[in-house]
Amino acid sequence: MEEYRIGVYICWCGTNIAMMVDVEAVVEEIKKLPNVTIAKDYKYMCSDPGQDLIVKDIKEHHLNRIVVAACSPRMHEPTFRKALENAGLNPYFFEMANIREQVSWVHTDRIEATRKAKGLVAGAVKRVVHHKALNKRYVDIHPATLIIGAGVAGMSAALEIADSGQKVHLVEQCNQLGGMVRKVDLNYPYLNSSRQTISQLIKNTEEHPDIQIYTESKIDKISGYIGNFRALLSNHQEQRELEFGNILIATGLKSFDPSIIENYGYKRIPNVITSADFEKMLYSGLIHCENGKEPGNIAIIHCVGSRNENYHPYCSRTCCMTALKYINQISSAAPECNIYDIYADMRAIGKDCEELYASTSKKNVMFLMFDQQHDLPVIKQNGNGKTVSIEFTELLSGESIHIQANMVVLMTAVESQANNKEIAHLAGISTDKNGFFIEKHPKLDPVATTTEGVYIAGTCQSPKDIPDSIVQAKAAAARILATIAKGKVQVEVTTAQVNEDICCGCQCCASVCPYSAISYNEDKKVSEVNEILCKGCGTCASACPSGAIVSKHFTDNQILSQITGVLEMQIETA
Amino acid sequence: MNYKPTIIGFLCNWCSYTGADLAGTSRQKYEDKIRIIRVMCSGRIEPTFVLDAFRKGADGILICGCHPGDCHYHEGNYKCLRRFHLLQKYTQQMGIEKERLRLEWISASEGKEFAELVDEMSEKIASLGKCMVKETLDTYR
Amino acid sequence: MENLVNPKLRDELKKFGVQDWEGCYHCGQCTANCPLTEQGQLFPRKDIRSMQMGLKKTLAGSLEPWLCYYCGDCSKECPRNANPGEMMMALRRYLTSVYDWTGISKLIYNSKIAEFALIFIIAALVLILSIIYSQVPDRSLWITPEGGVAINQFFPVEYVHFGDMVMFVLLAGLLISNIVNMYFKVIVNQGIKVHFINYFTEFWALIWNFISQKKFSKCDSKPYWYVHLFLVTAYVTLFVMVVAFLTWFQTDTIYAWYHPQRILGYYATLGLFAGTLYFIYQRSRKTKENSKHSHYTDWTFIVLLFLSTLSGILVHVFRINGMALATYYIYIAHLMILTPMLMIEVPFSKWSHLAYRPFAIYFARLKKAAENKQKEANMEATYKLKESIA
Repeated sequence: MEEYRIGVYICWCGTNIAMMVDVEAVVEEIKKLPNVTIAKDYKYMCSDPGQDLIVKDIKEHHLNRIVVAACSPRMHEPTFRKALENAGLNPYFFEMANIREQVSWVHTDRIEATRKAKGLVAGAVKRVVHHKALNKRYVDIHPATLIIGAGVAGMSAALEIADSGQKVHLVEQCNQLGGMVRKVDLNYPYLNSSRQTISQLIKNTEEHPDIQIYTESKIDKISGYIGNFRALLSNHQEQRELEFGNILIATGLKSFDPSIIENYGYKRIPNVITSADFEKMLYSGLIHCENGKEPGNIAIIHCVGSRNENYHPYCSRTCCMTALKYINQISSAAPECNIYDIYADMRAIGKDCEELYASTSKKNVMFLMFDQQHDLPVIKQNGNGKTVSIEFTELLSGESIHIQANMVVLMTAVESQANNKEIAHLAGISTDKNGFFIEKHPKLDPVATTTEGVYIAGTCQSPKDIPDSIVQAKAAAARILATIAKGKVQVEVTTAQVNEDICCGCQCCASVCPYSAISYNEDKKVSEVNEILCKGCGTCASACPSGAIVSKHFTDNQILSQITGVLEMQIETA
Repeated sequence: MNYKPTIIGFLCNWCSYTGADLAGTSRQKYEDKIRIIRVMCSGRIEPTFVLDAFRKGADGILICGCHPGDCHYHEGNYKCLRRFHLLQKYTQQMGIEKERLRLEWISASEGKEFAELVDEMSEKIASLGKCMVKETLDTYR
Repeated sequence: MENLVNPKLRDELKKFGVQDWEGCYHCGQCTANCPLTEQGQLFPRKDIRSMQMGLKKTLAGSLEPWLCYYCGDCSKECPRNANPGEMMMALRRYLTSVYDWTGISKLIYNSKIAEFALIFIIAALVLILSIIYSQVPDRSLWITPEGGVAINQFFPVEYVHFGDMVMFVLLAGLLISNIVNMYFKVIVNQGIKVHFINYFTEFWALIWNFISQKKFSKCDSKPYWYVHLFLVTAYVTLFVMVVAFLTWFQTDTIYAWYHPQRILGYYATLGLFAGTLYFIYQRSRKTKENSKHSHYTDWTFIVLLFLSTLSGILVHVFRINGMALATYYIYIAHLMILTPMLMIEVPFSKWSHLAYRPFAIYFARLKKAAENKQKEANMEATYKLKESIA
């Protein structure tokens, strides 16, 4: 039997841990535990000298298991695993005890905190002896890419990938490409034609030999894993199967329907229209009321359905600048028209947007601030049928005011596509409470998702403007091209494994697996795990009645020993 | 004397363990008798772990998973929920009070909620007193 | 139609001297800086907002521009260089035209030509009257025994005094009617219920502030208060002497230098001369906040005042030195400058603030008293309600 030689390292984390935990006392206590060869404390274990200390000790003392008690393993587990690898030890012979986030930062009694730290370290020591060596695994990447959604983000990414010579399958549910941008007349902040921009992009996409376009199509099923996905695609006529290595979701968003906001009377009061309606009007080249006349007074109301808990809590991001665009368009088309811009906060984020605001405020416009949380304006139809009156409390003056207008443009919010949940389920990713797809990390990785090989870009992640959508699309394209260039990708090691000697073939495991990674081998009469499909959740292991299926790195005896460890120390010192 | 119960927490790596880390980074203070064990998914938590922890002297067990619909592995938390209901029936029959075994949903952003949950559970179990499973088993051993 | 937003008012206000509409983004720095700001009296941001929105009724009820002495601190500290101080001045010009029911004020503020035409018409009228009513006496009577010019021989003081009194009645009538108008706009139309007794209890504030300009001393720049006080007292002294006691003030007899007539005259002349020179100097240098921006009516006012003073001094100098014809001509010129100045500036233009400001302070106190009364009543009602529940 293997002799365990464990090295235990307790980190001070400067004063972060040492302030609340008697680090030296922990070291003394841990030294007494069986199999512990050495126990040390150090100022900063994650620093280079700290890691070198581990490497040196492994070589000198022939350590074969390492425990570090420091911050959260979510922070520095990869760092220390790397150190083990450098010393020639398998990185999985390592366990971390979290004595910062879950001890020193949350407790106030130094004696109890020290006792808890001892317990957690003891648990890690007990656990680590059961650790097994696990080896990295790689899979080949299929060079094709599936892009769902052919809006400005989808097409930009498709062109980026296809231009480097890789195949792209571009799926669109409508009968033409272009998405939301196709419905817009001019772009802010430079007021150039949206149609020109998008038609060039559509032309390039359609003509590209490496982009296969599927319009009026939908995806019925996605199976597989990073590098080796398969999808079933159907339109009215046929169903086909595609093979690809990465997925980019760029399904965009849709407009909010303001008719549920009682105050605004959309669809009830004539000449109250949405920004989408107004955009159509601008596209046609004539701003007119329902009676065909040019309006003398136009009111624009911001935040319709945005930033209000009753509708959508988030900012729709583009409406403020779109409203400024309208003001410019109205004042050039109808210079005599009075424009009232009823806003909640003017959000001019993005290059040259503040400048657009500054220049627009010199036009024939009056900016009036309202409270979009508690006091929405009320639109009432006047007796003459030609004008409406808008009543609200103006925030900057505190006065209750009213406005007479011939036309009201509601700057409607944008919201996630209705079928986002469905797509999320197909691709194995998740949506947030507003229905937008969740990125892997909100700051450090806003392009990838928690499922390997699935990326998101554009407004399906959150509302954004055209440049931001394109930036994200091209970032996703770069990530996908990087995996294609490498040819293979590392996959999850901590998967499930079946002990065929014990397995009775009841298939309980297969029924609970969310990834269909477990299949039944008719010949051997046992279950088998496809380790490439398996993501290592361990649900099968806890379902197995005979204990035949093991969740690597989270085995029963590893966890049970950890329980023993954390509780033993509790009783001993209590 | 005020009895402080020992609680074992099984926390999902993706949501509640991160939530507990957030409680740390935002310096939320809570009862120090809780010992947290990380699992990849609440679906991994076996009845054995819970029973074993009671046998080794835990006064309460707290299982935390992702909110419904948010599971990193799609539906591990639902599996956990089903097991939990059965397990709680069983532990109650063994004479372990219902309050000693809890399942709660804590997301990665709910550090404060986690801290409050620990305090609240701790208080509840303190009023029940020590869990006698270990003593009883030790006596018969 | 209450509080209707009116985008057209901006164009109108531009004529009264508002230059930059977009500057102000309502950070409130000016209000925080102003030493006159107190509860319910927010200088000057709130008025700027009402101006931007064109809330005519709210503006007509605003007293703040009159309470402001334009120390310029708000404009100095404004992060957007939106010139809040100058906006208050523009609002003051606008309000003068709002209170004035004849419409002459608006005419003067909106058109340079109208203002100058009016000045010339009045000056011409004075000239004609002077030619008709002046009499050139026998050469032996030009000089008094003391060696001074017998001015009353040329211009019988009774005639001039009669003209004075007519003008006084006219000015007072216009000012009073405008103040009544102001009272309606500020108190009645705003729905403020003033307790009858308060009209008397608060009256002392009107008198006291008129004399002392005490409120100005709350402003951070003390020197301005001194200059302003000097100017006000000088002006009031001269006004009273010329309009009410001309027969006492304008005599052929040359009294000794310590005679009250001469002491008061010198004090007032010095005050006006130094004051107007100082303001002309400041307005042309444009270094201080409160003199950087000048509406053309500001210039007319100060130049006319300066010229009146200068011609007055010359009359005096020529008279005591026995230069008869020079005295005679300069006296006519003096009347030709002084009369249009008073007729235009006092009821219709810049100088009307001599009446509007103390009344604004008075009305502000009435407003406050009414509010306090309302608060008390509310509290009492709540108390009674509580008691009845108990």
